[in-house]
Amino acid sequence: MPQPFAVGRWLLAAVIIGLQILLSGLLLWANLTAENAPGRLIASAGLVSGTGVTPTALPVGRCCAATPLVFRVPLTAADMGLADPALLISSAQDNAWLYVDGRLVAGQGRADTVLSRRPLLLRIPREDFRPGARIDLVVTRAVGFGHLRPFHLGEYRALYPSFLALRFLRSDLPLTNAIIGAFVAAFCFCAAPLFGARGLLLSLAGLSAGWALQHVGLMMTDPPWGPVANGGLYMAAFLATLAFLVWFFVEWTSVLAPPETGPGRGWITGVWDAGSRQRLGWLVLFLCGMGVALIAARLQFDPAVGLQDIDRIIGWLGLATLAFCLTRLVAYYLSGGGRDPIEASAFIFVLLAAVADIATVRFIKSYGIFLSAAVTFFPLALLLSLAVRARGVFEAATATADKLNLLVAEREREILGGLKDRQRHEREALLLEERARIMRDMHDGLGGQLLGLVMRARANRLTGPALVDGLEQSLDDLRMVVGSLEQSEGSLAAALGAFRAQIEPRCEAAGATLVWRIEDVGRIAGLGPDRTLQIYRILQEACTNALRHGKPDRIEVRLQRTAGQGIVLSLEDNGRGFEPATVAAGRGLANMRRRAELIGVMLAIESGADGSSVTLTIPPDAWREDG
Amino acid sequence: MATAEKRARVAIIEDDPVLRDELAYAVGQAPDLEVIGVADCLTAGRELLARGVDVLLIDLALPDGNGVELIREIDGRTDGIKVIVISVFGDAQSVVRSIEAGAAGYLLKGAKPAEAAEAIRTVLDGGAPISPSVANHILARMRRPPDAPMTGGPALSRREIAVLTDLAKGFRYKEVARLQGISPNTVGDHVKSIYRKLAVNSRGEAVFEAVQAGLIRFKD
Repeated sequence: MPQPFAVGRWLLAAVIIGLQILLSGLLLWANLTAENAPGRLIASAGLVSGTGVTPTALPVGRCCAATPLVFRVPLTAADMGLADPALLISSAQDNAWLYVDGRLVAGQGRADTVLSRRPLLLRIPREDFRPGARIDLVVTRAVGFGHLRPFHLGEYRALYPSFLALRFLRSDLPLTNAIIGAFVAAFCFCAAPLFGARGLLLSLAGLSAGWALQHVGLMMTDPPWGPVANGGLYMAAFLATLAFLVWFFVEWTSVLAPPETGPGRGWITGVWDAGSRQRLGWLVLFLCGMGVALIAARLQFDPAVGLQDIDRIIGWLGLATLAFCLTRLVAYYLSGGGRDPIEASAFIFVLLAAVADIATVRFIKSYGIFLSAAVTFFPLALLLSLAVRARGVFEAATATADKLNLLVAEREREILGGLKDRQRHEREALLLEERARIMRDMHDGLGGQLLGLVMRARANRLTGPALVDGLEQSLDDLRMVVGSLEQSEGSLAAALGAFRAQIEPRCEAAGATLVWRIEDVGRIAGLGPDRTLQIYRILQEACTNALRHGKPDRIEVRLQRTAGQGIVLSLEDNGRGFEPATVAAGRGLANMRRRAELIGVMLAIESGADGSSVTLTIPPDAWREDG
Repeated sequence: MATAEKRARVAIIEDDPVLRDELAYAVGQAPDLEVIGVADCLTAGRELLARGVDVLLIDLALPDGNGVELIREIDGRTDGIKVIVISVFGDAQSVVRSIEAGAAGYLLKGAKPAEAAEAIRTVLDGGAPISPSVANHILARMRRPPDAPMTGGPALSRREIAVLTDLAKGFRYKEVARLQGISPNTVGDHVKSIYRKLAVNSRGEAVFEAVQAGLIRFKD
């Protein structure tokens, strides 16, 4: 994938690798130079008696000839030129005792310890420094990094630089690394719950802890818990380090695997799922426990030989472990297309350095310094890599947020657009419906009336008063249509209020008093202009009928809500009643019935000698469904 | 106040010549009313006003503008001209708009001479004609949703709302008076008060809308 700083990262990786190689070379050179100290090289040693210690014989061929052993050097006249004679024990022996003619004159630590890596510079007392004097140096042939190396007899001042160099290489640098390891362990252990990748951090914590504990074993050459326990601690820590190393690299190459890396490439190079990794973690803990138990048991049985056996086994285990990790790591970074060169270089160099160190110690029987160099740079590389990763995460998060914002904005636009469309459609539908209704209303009333007038006028059958009457009727109907449009909020009382002016003048003109008894019946759901107009027309017809046929002097319009029946609207007169059989009355009644049926209300018409009544009953919730 | 000696001076602005003449004739029949001039558009109507007018009968849809404009102008003057809107249907929307602009009443086109004269007299006496649909319309306006622009004008009292509700049901002044237990004159007073509040509210609204539209800028 294209990255804006890919070139910079490759450059950084190259710089780190370069620095590591440079440091490794420097250390290697310093190591060799320092071991090649100025002075007389004393390389022969043997099992000699007559000193304060008794050399111990070990089975030849398993590891070492003996431990401890005694270097015996007779001083010659050539040695007498030294003004301040001293012995530099270059490798591994900070536990050494110096005897002159069987008398202990200098030394420290224990002669029988098994772990030792520091150099030692011991002065020989000037008064004991004479030709023929017998110098006995009692040291331990140790395991691990403490392979026996030659030592030098020479001038104290001349040997001192070599001593310093060796101390740095074999003591100061490893100690620093151990401290870094302890910090990393503590950090990872504390931070593990904070991250999603708990296994990754826990394995790193175990790895670092093992690394630090190894150094405790290496540093404490004369520990209060005894040399055997110390050796056991070192071995157990070494074993734990290896176990956690496997877990850590499985986690790293699985959790951080690029998404395109599919599973199914086998357990060596493939991605492990979360369940397998968790089981591996438990297995690692179990193996550490088992290792500790086995090591303890073996050391109980035969400490000296046991330590060396264990050391050899762990050495081979280490090589196998490192081979596994390296294979995984190389496969991982190859599959990722070298997307993180800093990280890749750091890891691979560390692992290669470890292999080199183990190989050096085991096969060349020299001191391994590569891991020190690699580990020094490892946290730096890891931090850089994490920083790059974190930046990637932030950039990805920002990009995702931007994308989401765009998406949300787009959806919002879509939704708003859809809403507007729907509103427009609803409006259009409403308008169409309204238009159809108004046309129906006009056709029903006004249109027919005007058409009738026109026909009668054409036939010359329209006299003045009839024309005025017809036109007034038309205007009345138009006013009813307007009135029905005006009423609002489903109030039938208000709708009738507007209607009063419509019929009152006609009643008065016919000599009848209009009695208006309108109660507030509340809002009626579904009472629209359509139904209002039909009610107007029914009332109009009823009024016309009453005035035309009954000649009443009193017409009463009443609106009230009755219990259970709903709303009752009635028009009563005290006229003579009418004969429904007459043609005009019949047509009016049929009209009223049709309209009542149309809007779903009950219509009752009664007529008798003492008057007639037209009663409309609106059942409760009559228009609820479409209201 | 119109007396028998001094007849009230009436002007008419109406663009339909038939209706205009009919109305002028009907008003002229009344002994206490005098038509001092008629006009067919706003411009001519404005000139009429200069001649000293007590009552102006005005149509809303005129060839050179809406009558509401002139009603608003007159409402701003101090010569106390009463305005009556003439309307075909007396439909609430246009009547209420006129009342908001400052009109005192309305008259249906085609009204009989007696009705026309009665309406003019009522207005001259300080009365306020109101129809059920106008009352209903005012009630509906008072119940507007709360997010409508707040005018800050005076609200209708409980009694005024009760009177309006009865009027909306079609009851006459006398009937309302009986229902509410007050005198018919008090009903008229309530209606006048309602009209006044409506005009005040509408002025507040007009200012509010003008500010919203950026027509009026207050000094900072």
